[in-house]
Amino acid sequence: MLDLPIAPLDETITIDQLTLAPYPIYKRLRAEAPVLRVKSVGRTFLTRAADCKFVKDTPAIFSSDDPNTPMKRAFQAHTLMRKDGPEHMAERMAMAPALMPKTIQEVWAPLYRKLADDYLDRLPRGEVVDLHKALSAPIAARILAHILGIPEATDEQMIFWSQALIDGAGNFGWLPEPFVISDHANLEMDALLARAVERVRAEPDRSALSVMVNAENPIPMSQIVANIKIAIGGGINEPRDALSTIVYGLLTEPGQLEEVRRTGKWGAAFEEGVRWVAPIQASSRLVLEDVEIRGFHIPRGDTVMTIQASANHDEELFDHPERFDAFRARNPHQAFGSGPHHCGGAHVARRTVGAIMLEALFERFPNMALPDPEIVMWRGFGFRGPINLPVALG
Amino acid sequence: MKITFIAADGSETLVDAAEGESVMQAAVQNDVDGIIGECGGSMMCATCHCYVDDGWTEAVGGQQDGESDLLDCAASEVRPSSRLSCQIRMRAELDGVVIHLPESQL
Repeated sequence: MLDLPIAPLDETITIDQLTLAPYPIYKRLRAEAPVLRVKSVGRTFLTRAADCKFVKDTPAIFSSDDPNTPMKRAFQAHTLMRKDGPEHMAERMAMAPALMPKTIQEVWAPLYRKLADDYLDRLPRGEVVDLHKALSAPIAARILAHILGIPEATDEQMIFWSQALIDGAGNFGWLPEPFVISDHANLEMDALLARAVERVRAEPDRSALSVMVNAENPIPMSQIVANIKIAIGGGINEPRDALSTIVYGLLTEPGQLEEVRRTGKWGAAFEEGVRWVAPIQASSRLVLEDVEIRGFHIPRGDTVMTIQASANHDEELFDHPERFDAFRARNPHQAFGSGPHHCGGAHVARRTVGAIMLEALFERFPNMALPDPEIVMWRGFGFRGPINLPVALG
Repeated sequence: MKITFIAADGSETLVDAAEGESVMQAAVQNDVDGIIGECGGSMMCATCHCYVDDGWTEAVGGQQDGESDLLDCAASEVRPSSRLSCQIRMRAELDGVVIHLPESQL
């Protein structure tokens, strides 16, 4: 191993560039430097699909338990997202019943249908409306509040908490301000959760909070609270950004929209949207032992970053990867990750946004149009999606 | 050793597999449509659901710990012969095994 070179160092790529327009950078890296230490981020970037999958599928070498991330500080706790092995599994399985298809089918899908109708009813017709803020964000917040077992939280609270946690967890510059905000969010969440715990104790239901609190052998309350928070932080932006991204993709590819409508392949449109612009673009793993990737020596103690965004555009797996194409024969994307930390919300996302919302939205507003695709702004390095989506609902 | 995959539409694919490899891995490596295996075999995603052919259920064996919980998540109908293909390891007795694929994994 020692005779292998360490990965080259880049000192030119900035976080601003990655936030504004990452895809051209990743395209270049896949071709020229698929294993690259990026100084501005302090991580070794892996931009090829096979390498990203190898890392995620090999938790014995690539640990999620990275003590050097701001996530712990933002959440005031060590969450399941950053644990390995049996400890991670025990906490994940405590919450899992609420996220499984049987529960989704019996409880969350019927509820989501009703909520979707309510939120679509509220949209004003005959004018241009920012669908990202008027629909994608609040519906994601509402269904998540129910699934987690905190329906008393408002959409605005859920959205604020989620963003505060994400900003804190992504505060790699360790600035004070994002932690002041996340601390404030933690106070609010703790107060609301204390009441919600009493409620689900008295009246158990199928929510994540209830199944964790009322389990035969519950995990510690501190971890129940921490993992509800990780689900708040990690459960709004992704379905929100996925919905806005897919709607953008379909509205800018009218031929495909027509064909999806004709064939009912809303699920395929969903998969393509999350491939095209993965809501979670990158993840970190701590290297536990010296390892080789593509001829480079990755030393123990290094932190690698799998760039799912880039894996999902890898020319080895995808033709015309830069184009939204809902009719790909194969779509082996990594938007939900792989391995033991495979997205716990994947089934929920597929069976709500994918199976319900897209069809309901385009059925309700068959003449929906995007008057000016150019004014849609895309942002984000760790998380990415449009930040506005002004559509005419017709 | 060999595995035969039979898709929901009846089309057959014969693939080579190595001892110790899972049926899911063999399918994914050979681009067999109908097995996704999104989580790479961690029993997290239920997208490698398969039906073991009636003639092979005994040799393959039944569901492992935790597998039935995940099978509850499968997109297609779960039958007594249902398995997660990531949990079936290839060994000599399984050479020639016949695996049926469900309509859908998502």
